[in-house]
Amino acid sequence: MKATTAQDFERINSGQELPALTKHVTVEQIRQYAEASGDRNPIHLDEAFARSAGLPGVIAHGMLTMAFANQMVTDWLGDRSRLKRLQGRFAGMVLPGDDVTCSGSVASKDEQTRRVVINLVVTNQRGEKVLNKGVAEAEFSTQRSDIHAA
Amino acid sequence: MTDPRWVGRSYETKPFLVTEQSIRDYMGAVGDLSEDGELLAPPTYAMVYGFDAYWQLWTDQEVALDVAHLVHGEQRFSFQRPVRPGDRLQTTGRLTAINTRGDMELVTFELSARDEKDRPVSDATALFIIRRA
Repeated sequence: MKATTAQDFERINSGQELPALTKHVTVEQIRQYAEASGDRNPIHLDEAFARSAGLPGVIAHGMLTMAFANQMVTDWLGDRSRLKRLQGRFAGMVLPGDDVTCSGSVASKDEQTRRVVINLVVTNQRGEKVLNKGVAEAEFSTQRSDIHAA
Repeated sequence: MTDPRWVGRSYETKPFLVTEQSIRDYMGAVGDLSEDGELLAPPTYAMVYGFDAYWQLWTDQEVALDVAHLVHGEQRFSFQRPVRPGDRLQTTGRLTAINTRGDMELVTFELSARDEKDRPVSDATALFIIRRA
């Protein structure tokens, strides 16, 4: 398991780019995601069914792509509990064999609320956007606010 | 075309017990393996504990969405607190809009998850696009 280093709020600058994250999507990963998520819609699993539905073949779940964007942000944050908001539009299909790259940059930083807004995009190996209008928001509270109330 | 009279219909999951195995299966499937001490679920794990609400919508025989032509158009989440093993979470999903745009139908589904003490855990809005056959 990879250890992470928590991002320091004071050192974040507006416009700063996050380290990009690239994932190679396979049929096996789509199957694994279907099992883990429960979403066994045949457009993700059954080649003949997907073609009959007018698709080029099985496609990855949009939420798998969003999970990659989530990981890019939380890897950078170094703490999953800091992510408060995540959204995006599924702009294109992801097929097995695609290499998708998540990238993002800090759109704004609020010193008062200690919140940072990040704009995100995910593109495929041809540079086509598969997730656009992506936004994440993180909160750098001075202490972790998520501890279970006793 | 889905009958707009179903707008307002809601679905509730059974309480979902979050296990370490379920979180690790999800982390393995998406390839997000980082841990910083305590095991916290990746935030998008909300799709796992809330999945049954989506499933109930997609399989509702009365609403009868054309799921063979349904794709996920947009997704928004807000997270009130992280999720960890031992959480028992219940998600309510509500069909809040059915709109048409050209030859597409847009279905909006809004979800809210709460813990066993009825405290908010996460909210989500999903937009599904149904391409007319």
